[in-house]
Amino acid sequence: MTSRIPIILDGDPGHDDAIAWMLAKANDKLEILACTSVSGNQSIEKTSYNARRVMTLLGIDAPFAMGRERPLFGEPVHAGNIHGDTGLDGPALPEPAFEALPLSAVELMAKTITDSSEPVTIVATGPLTNVGALLILHPELKPKIAQISIMGGGLDHGNWTPAAEFNILVDPEAADVVFKSGLSLTMAGLDVTLKALVFPEDFERIRALGNPIATVVAEWLDFFYGFHRSIGYAGAPVHDAVAVAALVKPEILTIKEYFVQIETSGDFCRGATIADHYGFNGQQPNTHAVVGIDREGFIDLLAEAAAWYGKEQA
Amino acid sequence: MNPIPVILDCDPGVDDAIAFLLARQLPQLNVLAITSVAGNVGLEHTTYNALGLVEFLDWDVPVYQGASGPIFRKRVEASSVHGANGMAGFDLPHSRTTAAMPAWDAIHHIALQQQGELELIAIGPLTNLAMAFLKYADLPGLIKRIVIMGGATAAGNTTPAAEFNIYADPEAADIVFTSGVPVHMCGLDMTMKALMTPAELDQVGALGSNEAVFFRDVVQDIVGFMKRIGILGISMHDPAAVLYAADDSIFKAYPAGIRVETKGSITQGKTVTDLFSDAKWQKNAFAVMDIDRDAFVMKVFELMKKY
Repeated sequence: MTSRIPIILDGDPGHDDAIAWMLAKANDKLEILACTSVSGNQSIEKTSYNARRVMTLLGIDAPFAMGRERPLFGEPVHAGNIHGDTGLDGPALPEPAFEALPLSAVELMAKTITDSSEPVTIVATGPLTNVGALLILHPELKPKIAQISIMGGGLDHGNWTPAAEFNILVDPEAADVVFKSGLSLTMAGLDVTLKALVFPEDFERIRALGNPIATVVAEWLDFFYGFHRSIGYAGAPVHDAVAVAALVKPEILTIKEYFVQIETSGDFCRGATIADHYGFNGQQPNTHAVVGIDREGFIDLLAEAAAWYGKEQA
Repeated sequence: MNPIPVILDCDPGVDDAIAFLLARQLPQLNVLAITSVAGNVGLEHTTYNALGLVEFLDWDVPVYQGASGPIFRKRVEASSVHGANGMAGFDLPHSRTTAAMPAWDAIHHIALQQQGELELIAIGPLTNLAMAFLKYADLPGLIKRIVIMGGATAAGNTTPAAEFNIYADPEAADIVFTSGVPVHMCGLDMTMKALMTPAELDQVGALGSNEAVFFRDVVQDIVGFMKRIGILGISMHDPAAVLYAADDSIFKAYPAGIRVETKGSITQGKTVTDLFSDAKWQKNAFAVMDIDRDAFVMKVFELMKKY
């Protein structure tokens, strides 16, 4: 157990967050110390409820705390069009078996990191509100943060706006704090996540595993696929799972070093992750940007994780 | 097919000079005027160089002088790339003078004469075109298409977010993109791939004409500059845009919504391009994303052999 990477899962479940957490729980390279929710794909009430349902389903036995209602600045933005009204539409899920702790997500993160004997890795698959607040409120904990693996941004393009990806757009100021933190950052942005596509044959392979969690995962993917097909995608991009894959199976990824800045203002560019492709800033790279993926290897990783739950129950 | 009536708006500029060499020989283009604008270097140099180039090429095309700087902001230039005079120190023969009208009046005047057939090829900052649109409300209906060298859907070359021509006058660029005339953006996505190697440049020079030797020699300082940033050869930004305007068959372009960021703290001058986002911007432009490099180099040879 000592060789496991201690992690905090911070997300806004969300189908792809749920699949990322499924992957994290099943992988013996990771040890989940805590989970926190953030306002993003849906309201904080909904993402927190979903987080507890997903943790209950997957058997993640870790403390959980809720994030704040809104980004550090500005109004909340949600993606109900993508994840449905509940934020995790699709298969029926168990009711949560536990309550949120009576402390904030940021304070749970701080406590977890303080109490950990080893530096902790944060897997942030929603807006960076909690992580940004943690770095503002507890700068003394930076040496105990091993790295932050982020799903967010895009070196070249956005998705919510032409320039900005959803997670960064929702809270650019928080993202700015994170990208200026000097901590080790891995960015699974749209450059890679739009290539992390799942197709029907892939989720049928997972469904055929037959265990109850594999069935739910297949149904999430089915739902996610249906939506993305309806807006012209070739498959379902399982964005958030790439942030976990970067920790457990980096050999299937192509990673490049960039100096990345966050645009927080502007008419069209708020929330853009601006990469210095040609080194004009003269700054050292601050980001390990994931830009490519062996899709078959990624599907294998998802299927092996879903299969683990069958063995667990046997 | 009749040649396309065009105005070439430019800021020579080393790669502008190469664009002149090609435009002079392209049978698909009927260059009715050249308009100068401040950009790579100051207007006094770009106008002087434009006059020198048409004289060097024995080209019967009027040169109209345009804007000495951007509309709303201070001028920036790229003399570190193009040399203090914009022509890598080369001084061309010089007996011609500019035509009487300012560039924006000439654009409107010629557009009226061409009755809706005129196309604009703009390979410098877009100040002159913006001035023309600001002055003449009927102009959008008179211009068939605008091909620009400028911008990038991804990385910039002057800042991480912005390409030089757009960075130099972002407000002008946005005026052009929102003019209602389709803008074909030959940005860095494509033009960085329009690379000629040092060996290919030598082969052009070996063609032996004055023009071919000039082609090879005028770009050598930039070849040195490119080498220092790790690229062997020269990206033919402006020439690629001129070739696109003449014949787009060796290029790949996609309909896109494009606007220019004028206010961001690190993104001013970024050509924000909507190819697939959920925002679904109106498609006011084409993003030219790719070029068949080998075919491009073949075309350059074909044209340079005509001298």
